[in-house]
Amino acid sequence: MIKVKHHVVPFLLSLMPFVTEIAMADSKLSSWSLKGFGTLAATGTDSDKIGFYRDKSQTQDADSGWGITNDSQLGVQVDWKANDSLQATVQWIARDHAGNFFEQNLDWAFLRWSIQDDLDIRFGRLGVGVFSLSDYRNISYAYPWIRPPHEFYSTIPYYHIDGADITKKFSVDDGYLSIKIYGGYSYNQLPTQTSGVHNQQSPATGANISYEKGAWQARLGYTYATITSNPPIQDILTPINSPLFTQYWPDIKQLIPAMTMRGKEYHFGSIGLAYDDGIWLSQMEAAYIGSNTLWSPPRSSAYLSIGRRISTITLYSLLGIAKTFQNDIYVPNPLVPNPILLANQQQLSRILNNNGINEQSVSLGARWDFYDNMSLKAQWSHYWLGAHNGSQQWQQSVDNTTPNTVNVMSTGIDFVF
Amino acid sequence: MSCLQVLILYFNVMKIFTALLLFFFAAGASHADIVVIGNLKNSLQSLNTVQVEDIFMGRTRSLPNGRFALPVCQSTLRPAFYEKLTTKPIEQINAYWAMLAFRGQISPPMEFPDDNSVLSIVNDNRDAIGYIDSRNVNNSVRVLLRLN
Repeated sequence: MIKVKHHVVPFLLSLMPFVTEIAMADSKLSSWSLKGFGTLAATGTDSDKIGFYRDKSQTQDADSGWGITNDSQLGVQVDWKANDSLQATVQWIARDHAGNFFEQNLDWAFLRWSIQDDLDIRFGRLGVGVFSLSDYRNISYAYPWIRPPHEFYSTIPYYHIDGADITKKFSVDDGYLSIKIYGGYSYNQLPTQTSGVHNQQSPATGANISYEKGAWQARLGYTYATITSNPPIQDILTPINSPLFTQYWPDIKQLIPAMTMRGKEYHFGSIGLAYDDGIWLSQMEAAYIGSNTLWSPPRSSAYLSIGRRISTITLYSLLGIAKTFQNDIYVPNPLVPNPILLANQQQLSRILNNNGINEQSVSLGARWDFYDNMSLKAQWSHYWLGAHNGSQQWQQSVDNTTPNTVNVMSTGIDFVF
Repeated sequence: MSCLQVLILYFNVMKIFTALLLFFFAAGASHADIVVIGNLKNSLQSLNTVQVEDIFMGRTRSLPNGRFALPVCQSTLRPAFYEKLTTKPIEQINAYWAMLAFRGQISPPMEFPDDNSVLSIVNDNRDAIGYIDSRNVNNSVRVLLRLN
């Protein structure tokens, strides 16, 4: 099944010459367009013991030494229009993402067939609309903040799926109601606490419904995914299966089924509301993510942002909260208090229990649209960190002096062309 | 310099500043109206502001008569056009279109540099809809809406 992903792009590209002949007759209207977007940003924390990741796909954290890879990216998009109802789009983004740099950063490569004005079907590689901002998380120019709210968007394990979606739009009471259903196969490479990336494979399907009227927009979404791969836990399994462990620590094998991911499930449910009258803007979302894997335990999160525009400057505030629901995973004691076994017990307990997200934050920031298609942003965020935070959201030193609050500062320039 | 002198100087500077601002706004307002134009072969006789806004904000891809719309923008008039249509400044419109375009939903209207090129595109394409300065409109196209 994994071969599907490698065939999507060549398949789409190979279709293009066949339909070129029905390209638009008017030579003044080009059927090709190249556009792009990007952000150049620097991000840092005020503690050398706490490193910050924008989301769980990243390999490099930003700490008090600051870094530019967290929030910087450069994307290009090529659109090709065969006729009124057929269009192809390819989007690739240079960003810090674990795994294959070319393949993982290809977010869109699809053919869109507009059967009617208000009915679209897309095939190929598609961004996943799990939550409101999910499929444009990297287009910083399109939202006020420096990045999507961390509590909400840092833990979604997908950027794209290979599959199809269908969108139908209805005109309802002077507004537009839009229903989207999608399904496909996701292949995402994610960093892990053990050695190596998790080549996470999961069929996913979902639907969302949104309604837009005047300054208001409301959204409901649900996505279901099953995991068909296992994380790279060989480093854990090898000692567990060794003669030393088998003889002196037999109970440890009970944990193996809980450590596998194959066959485990995710449910993503969310509700969102946004308001923008040109002067005031506000956005909120709340979500529950159900799961039965200890590597990404069930959690809920929410955020609320309020902003005010004054000419070309937007001032905004953002509150976020995320809480993981997971009981402590107990790692049984070895039969003998051997120092090697006890050290292993401690380390394993840390790895298995620190996969959640427990944080609250308040952020203040400003966006200045100082030039055509360019904006300058600065944001200060203060985080209160709870226990059991995963190392894919925060890199925290394991010692008693590590603080449980941290300030994250960022500034950057966004542009589109 | 006493406090009073500073205050008087400040008020004088502000007076000049305000006068300059008023001058520029007045100069901006003296621009002629913008007209939304369509092709003569299209059955469409007129559009209202909501219909034009829905097309140029990417909410619908079709004209009210059911045909696929081909909206085109005139680059220099674009900020004034969108401000008249939506009351939003162009930077907000640009951010909105970035969201739509990079989500792979719909491409923004193609841009042309001047009124003549928009006239020519609308003249050549039955489903094209564009906008130009009302002073440059001619009989080769149909005026669908006047924005002022």
